[in-house]
Amino acid sequence: MELWGDHSDVESDSEWVRKVSANGVSMKTTEVEAKLDQGNIQEAEASLREGLSLNFEEARSLLGKLEYQRGNVEGALRVFEGIDLQAAIQRLQPSLAEKPSSRRGRFRTESVHAVSQHAASLVLEAIYLKAKSLQKLGRVSEAAHECKSVLDAVEKIFYQGILDVQVDNKLQEIVTQAVELLPDLWKQAGFYHEAIAAYRRALLSQWNLDNDCCARIQKGYAVLLLYGGVEAGPPSLAVQIDGSYVPKNNLEEAILLLMILMRKFILGKTQWDPSVMDHLTFALSVCSQTPVLAKQLEEIMPGVYHRVDRWNSLALCYSGAGQNKAALNLLRKSLHKHERPDDIIALLLAAKICSEDSHLAAEGVGYARRAINLAQGIDEHLKGVGLRTLGLCLGKQTKVSSSDFERSHLQSEALTSLEGAIPLEPNNTDLIFELGVQYAEHRNLTAALRCAKQFIDETGGSILKGWRFLALVLSAQQRFSEAEVVTDAALDETAKWDQGPLLRLKAKLKFSQSLHMDAIETYRYLLALVQAQRKSFGPPRIQAVDDKVNEFEIWHGLAKLYSSLSHWKDAEICLGKARELKQYSVEALHTEGVIFEGRGQFQEAFAAYNNALLLEPCHVPCKILISALLSKRGLKALPVARSLLSDALRIDPTNRMAWYYLGMVHKDDGRKADAADCFQAASMLEESDPIESFDSIL
Amino acid sequence: MFDHSEPTTPSSTSTPTSEHAPSISLDSLSKTKSAVESLSSILSSFPSNLSFSISSSNLNPAFSLLHDPQVASQVSSLLREPNSGAGDNNLCRWLYDTFQSGDPNLQLVVLRFLPIIVGIYLSRVALRKPLAGFEAILLALYAHETTSRAGQPITMNVPNLSLPSVYHEAKAPINNSTELNLAVISPSLEPHGTVRSTRRARIVGVALELYHSKIYHMPVGSKIDFCDFCVVWAGQDNNDDDRDLNKESESNGRKEGRIQLPWELLQPVLRILGHCLMGNTKNKELFDAAWAACNSLYARSMHDINPKALLATGSLLKLGKKAMEPSEDLDPTEIRKSNVLVI
Repeated sequence: MELWGDHSDVESDSEWVRKVSANGVSMKTTEVEAKLDQGNIQEAEASLREGLSLNFEEARSLLGKLEYQRGNVEGALRVFEGIDLQAAIQRLQPSLAEKPSSRRGRFRTESVHAVSQHAASLVLEAIYLKAKSLQKLGRVSEAAHECKSVLDAVEKIFYQGILDVQVDNKLQEIVTQAVELLPDLWKQAGFYHEAIAAYRRALLSQWNLDNDCCARIQKGYAVLLLYGGVEAGPPSLAVQIDGSYVPKNNLEEAILLLMILMRKFILGKTQWDPSVMDHLTFALSVCSQTPVLAKQLEEIMPGVYHRVDRWNSLALCYSGAGQNKAALNLLRKSLHKHERPDDIIALLLAAKICSEDSHLAAEGVGYARRAINLAQGIDEHLKGVGLRTLGLCLGKQTKVSSSDFERSHLQSEALTSLEGAIPLEPNNTDLIFELGVQYAEHRNLTAALRCAKQFIDETGGSILKGWRFLALVLSAQQRFSEAEVVTDAALDETAKWDQGPLLRLKAKLKFSQSLHMDAIETYRYLLALVQAQRKSFGPPRIQAVDDKVNEFEIWHGLAKLYSSLSHWKDAEICLGKARELKQYSVEALHTEGVIFEGRGQFQEAFAAYNNALLLEPCHVPCKILISALLSKRGLKALPVARSLLSDALRIDPTNRMAWYYLGMVHKDDGRKADAADCFQAASMLEESDPIESFDSIL
Repeated sequence: MFDHSEPTTPSSTSTPTSEHAPSISLDSLSKTKSAVESLSSILSSFPSNLSFSISSSNLNPAFSLLHDPQVASQVSSLLREPNSGAGDNNLCRWLYDTFQSGDPNLQLVVLRFLPIIVGIYLSRVALRKPLAGFEAILLALYAHETTSRAGQPITMNVPNLSLPSVYHEAKAPINNSTELNLAVISPSLEPHGTVRSTRRARIVGVALELYHSKIYHMPVGSKIDFCDFCVVWAGQDNNDDDRDLNKESESNGRKEGRIQLPWELLQPVLRILGHCLMGNTKNKELFDAAWAACNSLYARSMHDINPKALLATGSLLKLGKKAMEPSEDLDPTEIRKSNVLVI
């Protein structure tokens, strides 16, 4: 057992001579050590008692310490076992009469006077060294019991806790070491519950620990709480103070302790320990509290982390909480050419964030290209990820492209990138899904269908959007009944509360098949579901809100359904309900216009469409309907109608209604050939419109 | 300093152990007896000492069953057989019945095999193999957790240092605006009678949450199984070439078994992995398995560009790396050395 390794060179030095001193006398230990080496404890003890005028316990304690320092822990243990330490502790305890009457009274500095403090530290040190000896011999749980008795004794002797002024340095040192050692011993012995109790005892009682020691204990405890696998339960009521925060489970307690440690570093009370931040990062990200983590990162003084590291970590935190805008701003800083432009993870994250917003997509293309170029050497495995994000960004960019040419160029480039990623990312089901959506947007429905089926197969149907996508592709192929079969299969695989989007899809499918009563029935069921959901979860929902159908959509869907059946009264009632839930809605205004138009109130319809366009200038269906209304007013209005339709087609080039009305305008204007082209486009597109837009599921 | 291995004999005041087992009720003993009997008819060779020990002095036979290496290896290899998950599989039946016996010690024996069950199950879903046997076990675990939580979500109040706590002082806030931030660790549970495919990840995730809550009692072998499957699920070769890949996945082609890792599944996986890596760094075999799993999941997080997973696995990697380095810190609990000993 190499315990004194750092001293081995010193020990070989002949200058190294141990001395013992007490009562103003000191003596060399050579002789005593020789006796000890012969296994003659009594004689060694006797020579110490003689030489230094010590009593039996003092001599034994000193002897044990000597053996311990010599590295002979077995010998030390033998010596300590010869002392009745418990009896010694008994003698040290103040009698009941000595206890002061008032609890808050000044500590009895006089009663525990210098002499008994000396005796106390002698006995406590002996027990402590016994514990350490046992620890070194691997008898950890015995060591823990000894160590615990040190603390028990201290609590009995100083039953009001330890304050600075009361105890001498030596005693304080032993107490501090014992407080720190005990939980560690329980932990080593595998007694985690006892370790937790010992940590709490260390942190919640008055031991007058120094900052560094307290920080080490807090960290050790946090680690045990986080990873030990034993639930600690809330601390006892005795230590709880009114209005203070009481952790009630391991995560809360660990995070609290780690935050306190961070605060101590920031205030300069303890040394910086990067692992504290790592533990905190793990704890907070596992419970999805990355914004809290971001706050912690922001509080750290400059100079601890490199600023780029900090920006990148912050970006992960914000992006992890869906605050992508903040994340992107940070990444822009860190990816600046003067900072760290070649950080591949930062580039990929930036590209991914950009791929979710058509106005940022072009910027994302740049990041993705940089990432692809950097995917070499040990990062080569990330090339597929780069291509995938590039494809997604390009696909998103098509939504805002200004010309048809640019659009088709971007679209095919997007497809090439995603297809190129497939062999590099085998079995990446998300990639297959994204490629499928891209095919669908490109109206390559056969390929899209293949991807959709593959996605469902490989995910075992576990992802809802896979089912929805398959149904949409089938609906785009006008295979409504098959789409319905898929939707029904998906409903079977979905728990009640998640069925909303599927039921909405089903209602629309019924509607497309002119099964109006079935559609109404489905909407009614959906409405009941949504209302029940709202009641059972209450308004401030802690459930995830994504992918849920809201009540507005249902009322609005019903309004559209009734208006298509020319049941204007019912349509109006449903629309009224919808507008109660959402006052300014483009969709509602659009439907309102349709109802007015159906009733022959063209002026009001026109106003409704216009209002909708004021809310959302790019709303294609309203543009089309306005131009349809205008084109009925005669030749004078045709150029306006035509420009509106061209605009609509610029935004949505696959909109068959826009092509159809543009054809009508050309026809009315006498441009037969142009009209024929438009009608042809409209008739071709009719075959491939999905029931809900494809990008609604990405 | 000490060659201290993972406490294969978990000893704690609340846990009965083979050494100081409190009186185990007769009911529990008879349940264990019948469980052992039916298991011995399934396994080809049943360790004689186990069946013997039931009748003799063994105070906690369920504990012996949990830690018996022979039983573990036989059950594991049966679970890995091609049609092991079928509804009529004897072993699945036994695992289901044993869990449903309601005896906490026997339930631990079932949980011990959860990593393999989940691992095989999730990797086989896409292969359209019969899995009703596995699903029955998983649903039983899910139902157990749903009942014991009364369907309620597990929430957490994120600490806020501006409020005083048991561990620190703070000036009391002037107004009550310092609200605590409520975090949902595990959402509410609704009962499920079958495994609907879109709820599969959640059902498995909840079963893993149960495993995590009992992980202290799990033998090392079970945790190593879990770590090995993490590597398979991640489906990512990482840059560490000194790591030997799971043999099964290697023979079937390199990235076989990669699965979707939604957060409801990944979160309990990461918590278990945290325990395996940092719970006891002295067990080299477990640490190495967990280290490999962390590397794979980190690589996977990069491929998914998943920020939360990147933060969690990245921090585990940093901590694991630190644990591998020899510690240079002085032991603060060591007494000061001097050549003059003073009383």
